[in-house]
Amino acid sequence: MNKKILIAIIVGAVVIGAAFGWSEYNRGKTTADEMPIKEVVTAQALFLAFSSDEEAANARFVGTAEQVIQVSGAIRSIEPVDGGHTNVVLETGDPLAGVVCEFANEDLDPTWRTGAAVKVNGFCSGLLLDVVLVRCVPVVSN
Amino acid sequence: MTMKTIKILGLLVAMTPLALSAQERFATRNGHITFYSSTPVEDIEAHNRKVTSVWDASTGAIEFAVLIKAFEFEKALMQEHFNENYMESNTHPKANFKGKMTGITADEVKTAGTYVVTVSGDLTIHGVTKNVSIPGSVVVGPSGVVKASSEFIVKPEDHNIAIPGVVRKNIAETIKVTVDLSLDPL
Repeated sequence: MNKKILIAIIVGAVVIGAAFGWSEYNRGKTTADEMPIKEVVTAQALFLAFSSDEEAANARFVGTAEQVIQVSGAIRSIEPVDGGHTNVVLETGDPLAGVVCEFANEDLDPTWRTGAAVKVNGFCSGLLLDVVLVRCVPVVSN
Repeated sequence: MTMKTIKILGLLVAMTPLALSAQERFATRNGHITFYSSTPVEDIEAHNRKVTSVWDASTGAIEFAVLIKAFEFEKALMQEHFNENYMESNTHPKANFKGKMTGITADEVKTAGTYVVTVSGDLTIHGVTKNVSIPGSVVVGPSGVVKASSEFIVKPEDHNIAIPGVVRKNIAETIKVTVDLSLDPL
């Protein structure tokens, strides 16, 4: 093989590799509306699953890699967390525990009110006192 | 004294211990933990706004817990490496602290002011528990809300968190952890 062609192939491979590495390093996080929905569940069923078998619920709803779940339920409360985030807490049937869905303020549906039946897509991170979902987005009904 | 008055007085007497207890126990589900790693190669920062904490001012007992997968990074790759390679969050999904806060009494928490405190106890990260003593401050607001904050250092090696050689220069040997809790009376 011509030496110049070989050098060109090597340089090309290095440039492609560097470009891939740079783009991978700077890759932004996927949002909940960009990924397929892995599980569809009510807030009540989600809390019941975690409270009865946390390990199994972690495997199913949190997953080993990031996955999106869709949770439906009635809004118990809407609570600002800080300047940029708001929690939407969904009813679970247990007054001491809810499904807490954290939204970036720009993703929150401004028409939502306490008591409304809503659907949320988000990344489940597990159970503390409540089941926690982060990076949530509202599901718009068609 | 009428029967109705006696019943009301009885109810008030019965409720007094509950009312006192309510002023001495505080909790949050929205505490904020930040960690920060700084090296000449890069700075890495992550936030978790879902810290659950309960503090009993009468005994000083304090606990907090966080979900590892609720830490948010700026870049996806950092978050993936953090969960999959370093914290192994599928195996160790939570970190927690159980201990005691000294430097403020149950009486002092009823008065607005700023208190220098020390929190001592067991910090469990990555399944490894270490006894720690952490300085902090508590600010009691006029409305009764208690804001507790602390800044301390965690060494990954203390909790058996292995950093691969290829990224050793990207991650600091000591990680600065900042905790901010806004605790409401229970």
